[in-house]
Amino acid sequence: MASLQTLQVEVNGQAQVRSVAPRQHLVDFIRNELGLKGSHLGCEHGVCGACTVEVNGRIVRGCLTLAVQAQGGKVRTIEGLSADGDVRDLQDAFVRNNALQCGFCTPGMVMAAKELLEAKPDATREEVREWMSGNYCRCTGYQAIIDAICETLAERAKNSSSRPSEKVSV
Amino acid sequence: MELTGEVVINAARTRVWIALNDPAVLTACIPGCEAVEQVGPLEKTARMLVKVGPVRAKFSGRILMSDVVESERCAMTFEGSGGAAGMARGRSQVELSDEGESTRLHYTVQASVAGKLGLVGGRMIDGAAKQMADQFFNAFQLHLAPAQPDADKLPTESKAPKSAQVQPLVTHSRSEDMTVAGATVTRQPTSKLTDDMEWLRVKWFAMGVLATAIGVWLGAQL
Amino acid sequence: MKSAAFDYVKPAAMAELFELLQSHGDDARILAGGQTLLATLNMRLSEPKLVIDITGLQELRGIHQVGDRLFIGALTTHTEIENSALVSQHAPMLTMAAPHIAHRAIRNSGTWGGSIAYGDPAAEWPCCLCAMDGHVHLQSPNGSRKISATDFFIDLYTTALAPDEVVVGADVPLASQADWFAFDELARRHGDYAVAGLAVAASFTGKVAQRVNLAFLGIGTIPWRARRTEALLVGKTLDLATVEIAVASLKAELDPLPDLTHSPETKRHLATVLARRLLSAAHANRSAIAV
Repeated sequence: MASLQTLQVEVNGQAQVRSVAPRQHLVDFIRNELGLKGSHLGCEHGVCGACTVEVNGRIVRGCLTLAVQAQGGKVRTIEGLSADGDVRDLQDAFVRNNALQCGFCTPGMVMAAKELLEAKPDATREEVREWMSGNYCRCTGYQAIIDAICETLAERAKNSSSRPSEKVSV
Repeated sequence: MELTGEVVINAARTRVWIALNDPAVLTACIPGCEAVEQVGPLEKTARMLVKVGPVRAKFSGRILMSDVVESERCAMTFEGSGGAAGMARGRSQVELSDEGESTRLHYTVQASVAGKLGLVGGRMIDGAAKQMADQFFNAFQLHLAPAQPDADKLPTESKAPKSAQVQPLVTHSRSEDMTVAGATVTRQPTSKLTDDMEWLRVKWFAMGVLATAIGVWLGAQL
Repeated sequence: MKSAAFDYVKPAAMAELFELLQSHGDDARILAGGQTLLATLNMRLSEPKLVIDITGLQELRGIHQVGDRLFIGALTTHTEIENSALVSQHAPMLTMAAPHIAHRAIRNSGTWGGSIAYGDPAAEWPCCLCAMDGHVHLQSPNGSRKISATDFFIDLYTTALAPDEVVVGADVPLASQADWFAFDELARRHGDYAVAGLAVAASFTGKVAQRVNLAFLGIGTIPWRARRTEALLVGKTLDLATVEIAVASLKAELDPLPDLTHSPETKRHLATVLARRLLSAAHANRSAIAV
């Protein structure tokens, strides 16, 4: 009944062309078409944050984005973010602080935290908690995750004289 | 979810009772209703499209009447399935009483919605149920008593139809006012005057004054 | 779960959008940010035949001053409003309200127009618009019109939108020096649908309030202006005694609808908590200025 659309999108720096059903959301496309299993599905209605990915430089809910909406755009998943090394310090801080146990929420957490580091480099702990409240974790109790992010913010602030902070522009 | 309300319908009690039980009337008046069918003396099936905000859920269900006192009251249990959206079930009680030539209809509904609709829409159920009830009764009244053309243009023959719009007592108003829920308006006792148009106009004027006075009084109490 | 199948189209012009709406009626859904629509579709609470993606309609984007109003296009995302210097200067209430909307990932996609068109009782933008006496801009194949926000929101998920109409944007008055704004909401967790929220748009001469608009969200089926309490505050200084008078008036004026977990009494109480907080903050602010 519904006709397939030809989707052209850059994912983690690689151009992809695929035929997709309009109803397929971005995370299903990423996982099932492209085999990138780092992005997870928890609730499929936008509240848990496990599906958080980056589209055109901003984090979005992959389950509330149709694959066809990424037409002509750039998508970055946790795999790409890791490979790019943008948040190596944050990922190290996660490990140091035991901020993951089963790891299901972790890619979404790292994605969300990445945008916080860019948009609010001087965030207080309270602001970090508010920002991260869109990502659920069933294992850690959250404190370690917040610790890891705050540590990273502090480290970056200390080193900020050597590199200008990149604000996400409007 | 519990809902209580009262409306006064400008039609005789027997007519109201018959209409309430008429599958064709119900199909026309229930918001989103696609079909109501009588499948037994006390049993009906219904299919409707529930449209609230972004939701479009097709429900099909069964209504079973009990404790029937003809033209006076009945109880109903209903249950319906909305497919992937969830399920609804509940009970309601309807009581009819005379109000001069009109009928006072008192209803109570208890219902629960299960499944996704209940989970996601839970916080909206009361508001949505009220909205649907109001829409139903507005349509029901229009069906039984279509709106009066301008009173001045009415013919003066005594056989003019007894048709005038009654405002339901439970109204949704704009953001300035909160709903005045479940207000009871006691009508002045009617006398045995002839049913010509002049008397009707006087009756409606009196109703309007009374309703306004009660509304203002209630507003001051809230 | 997964959405049912649908067709997808992305019109390049408003005329095309109107044609599609006319031929498909309620079988089609408009997709802007999709943060409400796609959740609804994923849960199969709606199964449209066609989804019309309007994000290609550039004329629905942008924030700009038009005379003495600030106009925000329907496709502006919540994050764009949050980050906008124009908004922060001319309509600071919106800057205050934006961070309360869901979470960042949702704000990056969700739109001003979408929130207004749905008119959820707990949504922030409809409440802000009603507090600021904003106007909603609508367009249909027959032309454009403008309607005041307090007339636009009619009932639960019911707005003045005609079936062939779309929201193209909304405007608010430009803030002046005499104006003071605040926004706060109470939710069980940050980002949840608010149990109650309050938007205050006031203007002062020194410490004396000339106008205090109070719009509540989450209390009724639409944003609710506490008109009687507003009238009480005109010409008054918002000292402790006046704030208590306002709270008493609100307790009498408010008639909240319950939800699954909060009784009308709880909602009424929370509304007065917000009123106390924000009115006291207004007074503190004006006292500091008007020395």
